[in-house]
Amino acid sequence: MKKKIAAKVIASALTMALTAATLTGCRFGFASDPDDPNEVKKEVTIDTSVDTFQYDTGLEGTSITLLNSKAEIQVALEKMSAAFEEKSGVHVEVMPVTDGDSPYTKVVSLYNSGNPPTLSILDTTDVIALAEEKAEDLTDEAWTVEAEGYLTEVNGRVYSFPLCIEGRGLIYNKAVIEAALGEPFDPSQIKTQDDFTALLDRLVAAGIERPVSMAKEDWSLGAHQLQYIYETYDGTSEGAQEIIEQIKAGELDLEEYNRMSEFLNMFDILKNYNVAKGDPLGADYDEMAIDLADGKTAFWFNGNWAWPNLEEAGAETEDAYGFLPYFLNNDENDFANQMIQGSPSKQIMLDGQIASDQEKAAAKEFLNWIVYSEIGQQMLVKSCSLIPPFKNNPYEPEDPLSRDIYEHVQNGTAFNASAIVPNDHWSILGAAMQKYLAGRCDREELMQSIEEYWAQQ
Amino acid sequence: MKSKNNGKDFCMFALPGMFCFFAVVIIPFLYGVYLTFTDWNGVSQTKNFIGLKNFAGVMSDRQFWSSLLLTFKYVIVVVLLVNVIAFAIAYLLTRGIKGQNFFRAGFFTPNLIGGIVLGYIWQFVFSRVFVNIGEGTGWNLFEISWLSEPNRAFAALILVSVWQLSGYMILIYVAGFMGLSEDVMEAASIDGASGFAKLKNIVLPLMMSSITICLFLTLSRAFMVYDLNLSLTAGGPYGTTEMAAMHVYEKAFTSRQFGVGQAEALILFIVVACISGLQVYFTKKQEVEA
Repeated sequence: MKKKIAAKVIASALTMALTAATLTGCRFGFASDPDDPNEVKKEVTIDTSVDTFQYDTGLEGTSITLLNSKAEIQVALEKMSAAFEEKSGVHVEVMPVTDGDSPYTKVVSLYNSGNPPTLSILDTTDVIALAEEKAEDLTDEAWTVEAEGYLTEVNGRVYSFPLCIEGRGLIYNKAVIEAALGEPFDPSQIKTQDDFTALLDRLVAAGIERPVSMAKEDWSLGAHQLQYIYETYDGTSEGAQEIIEQIKAGELDLEEYNRMSEFLNMFDILKNYNVAKGDPLGADYDEMAIDLADGKTAFWFNGNWAWPNLEEAGAETEDAYGFLPYFLNNDENDFANQMIQGSPSKQIMLDGQIASDQEKAAAKEFLNWIVYSEIGQQMLVKSCSLIPPFKNNPYEPEDPLSRDIYEHVQNGTAFNASAIVPNDHWSILGAAMQKYLAGRCDREELMQSIEEYWAQQ
Repeated sequence: MKSKNNGKDFCMFALPGMFCFFAVVIIPFLYGVYLTFTDWNGVSQTKNFIGLKNFAGVMSDRQFWSSLLLTFKYVIVVVLLVNVIAFAIAYLLTRGIKGQNFFRAGFFTPNLIGGIVLGYIWQFVFSRVFVNIGEGTGWNLFEISWLSEPNRAFAALILVSVWQLSGYMILIYVAGFMGLSEDVMEAASIDGASGFAKLKNIVLPLMMSSITICLFLTLSRAFMVYDLNLSLTAGGPYGTTEMAAMHVYEKAFTSRQFGVGQAEALILFIVVACISGLQVYFTKKQEVEA
């Protein structure tokens, strides 16, 4: 009998622990669900009254597919394809890349099954990997003129359509800074690393204990932060390529390379004022958006793609958010301290292998429609909330982050450099950066892992 | 018994199954083996034969060997814990306690939740709930997220795996215990065997067939763990909890070294096949008839 009671007690205690864990897991897990049914979504209105685009009537009835790897614009793209079909008679089927699938893997598996999408939205590195083997040459398309400076060339040929410009830097929440300091905040007055540190110290004195949020995700650390060392070499993609070649060849000692130590100095500053300083690898991405919107922090290192997160966290399009550069040193004349990085990120590739001529023509018309038709121009900017790389597009983005990048691009205070790195750069060196962020390795070890990584390429 | 229409029977009953088996298992497997000898990158039209270069690549991939070692550690701990816990709980739940069916269902539930979902739930528990408890109570154990420290992240992985796998094994062990013949047990009691002696000399040998199955299932599942690894730690912090299966995927698709990844997958397969083969052979030998 005694045994039985003991058994009962143990078994029920265990079960209770298990069920309690399950329940709490569920309750908390879904508490932050952003889909509030009471929320009224603002409909973006598109003016379709004017349309001077010349449609090719011979293409009516053609059906093409578009693989979308930018989940946040899926709905907007579907609307775009509907608007395009109404006008041109060409059906564009928008296929999403499901969560957990990488766009490249998806495209490759579709190619291997003999059923590739006519158009696919990919990252620049993916396009470069696939271009000569699979893609249609787009060098002679008319829109290449409008996108000058934002085209990606592979051996002198253009194989992809730049869909948007994305920029990154230190996002600031103007209202929070002004409330804390009790004076107007002018971002252009922060010109050097010292200015920035002084500002952080004042914020700390004003009660914002740790004013910076820093994502621990490997893509943020390995791609968005670390790549500054290549991209600020001279602020061009060619320069970034050059420095990468030097590192790869072992000609450049990273310890001697200014940008490396400057980058780490800035990284250390951010690390020091990090809101999650106690446990930097435990930082939660969604919480960072909430912290910035609520004013627990004043800065967040991220890009303009973070807007949907901020909006979910309660930020409004009327609020003042913007970007500060990633300050590398105290030289006011160094472009890196004055300019924001902004480059084309997502590219559309047209299949040149399986698609019929009719389908290719329809796809090219769709791309031209995005660039030249009044409706396409509006939808790219307003429905998709993208920053257009096309000079002829007169529309301005609505959300403050994209608008800030857009203004920097227009005013010439953005530098367009994107380093083309191997596909596993973000994951392998992201891990090395995580180790450094957690304080479990020093600069030497980090630089050594960077050099080792490149030596293997 | 041989029948004349042997061929016809074979065609009717075995051929469809054989065809499917060959089409989705054997042929892709052989094709995969073939790919390890080529430089195919997943995209290109041409596949050049490059001999054993990919295997040389595996040899020089230190990360693969360290994740294989980590997988071994993980497998040993998980297999032991799962089987001991499941055996103990199944033993308790066949003693005829009140509500034992309820408890059986309760323990089995975690197994019904998919690995990915489970991983996300526990990620939340480790990095939010535990940290909040730590803040509230000042306990050192929960001060930082378990997932941001390599050893604790590994412990977290084991904890969740054991929690998930035990339920299923409990079910198998419960079935085993129910199948124990009352006569034998009674005879043992009359002969004066009690408690531990009964367990060691009567119950364990008779339970060997359940143990064979459970060991095999836990071994193969633990070796091939991917979903939980992905959603709970994603290999982090800084790549210290990347298990072999995950490393293979990363190698093939993130690093785009298809051939090397494929060769690593083959090596992993051989390791798992050998170990589970040996395990089944040895535990089968221990099985006895009542």
